[in-house]
Amino acid sequence: MHISRVKIADWAVLKGGGILMTIGLGSCVGVALYDVQQKIGGLAHILLSKSREFPQRAAAFNPAKFADTAIPLLVQEMERVGGKKSRLRAKIAGGSQLFMNQKIGNSVGEKNVLTTRQVLGELGIPIAGEDVGGNYGRTLRFFVESGLVVISTVGRGEKEV
Amino acid sequence: MGKKIVDAYKLDVLKELANIGMGHAVTALAQMLGEEKIFMDVPVATLAPLQDVPELLGGAELPVAGVFIAADGDIQLKILFVLPLDSALNLTALLLPGGWEDAEELKLSALLEVGNILTSSYLTALSLMTGLILLPSPPAIAMDMSAAIISTVMAAAHIQDDELVLMQTTLSSQEKRITGQILMLPDRGALNKIFSLLGIR
Repeated sequence: MHISRVKIADWAVLKGGGILMTIGLGSCVGVALYDVQQKIGGLAHILLSKSREFPQRAAAFNPAKFADTAIPLLVQEMERVGGKKSRLRAKIAGGSQLFMNQKIGNSVGEKNVLTTRQVLGELGIPIAGEDVGGNYGRTLRFFVESGLVVISTVGRGEKEV
Repeated sequence: MGKKIVDAYKLDVLKELANIGMGHAVTALAQMLGEEKIFMDVPVATLAPLQDVPELLGGAELPVAGVFIAADGDIQLKILFVLPLDSALNLTALLLPGGWEDAEELKLSALLEVGNILTSSYLTALSLMTGLILLPSPPAIAMDMSAAIISTVMAAAHIQDDELVLMQTTLSSQEKRITGQILMLPDRGALNKIFSLLGIR
């Protein structure tokens, strides 16, 4: 089966089948969008929540890095291949607090999840499943044929979302 | 084409800074370990695309232990000491007295302390060379897949460029029972300050 690997601050869209995969979500959030009728899947691996908080945008701005720009981009790219925003459902994973005994990184994961929920809400995309928070990393596999999302971890087994 | 954040010459300077910093760090570790000899490779300073960084530690899903320290003060930078889980266990076995090898909390705290000593000796060396005041945060530890750990550090650093400067040093014990890496991620502003202090334009 075709596997499309989504790196950090990256996105991909598949239609009809295949697997969208992203490895090692820590405080990052993986956003999987699915159009069940057309069997179109989109996956983004976002690093930070809001692009607005970075006023000095780099010349080569990468919208896939931030929740507030990555999700609209993903919707747009899915519509380009026949998806429809009103049919989309989301599954999200990540936003954890990996480092024990310290606050650094914590608020980043929480903020990423909050902003992801907020952006999805503004776009009218319901969240069909999620596996967020905690203190462990996640690898996400999104089976585009079925819409199934499988989360695997180190030492905590697998779980379907 | 945008201008590169640093050129080859500046990367060489950073490599030399890392070399001196790491020399101090490895000496400190060797003192803790006694018999076990520790070797370090020549540090590498690279300008890496953001998306490739989680792979730099030898496999995105590799289970590792990571000790993280953020330095604040005149400049801001993030330091991460990462080692594969089996190395981490070998290291704690050397540090903990007989009979305590199975105590999970002690293992964590031993690793945390090693990370703390390594990274703070690195920072001290950097501070002595540049005259910059560097205040390290208390160390934090995580055990998980390497990509999750390093991406969390990148997020904590609020990386805004799509390429980032990274100093990486590998250290290993005589029979490779222990291997580990130290990564240093300076903020963009930090780089400019370091270069101007050293008179490099």
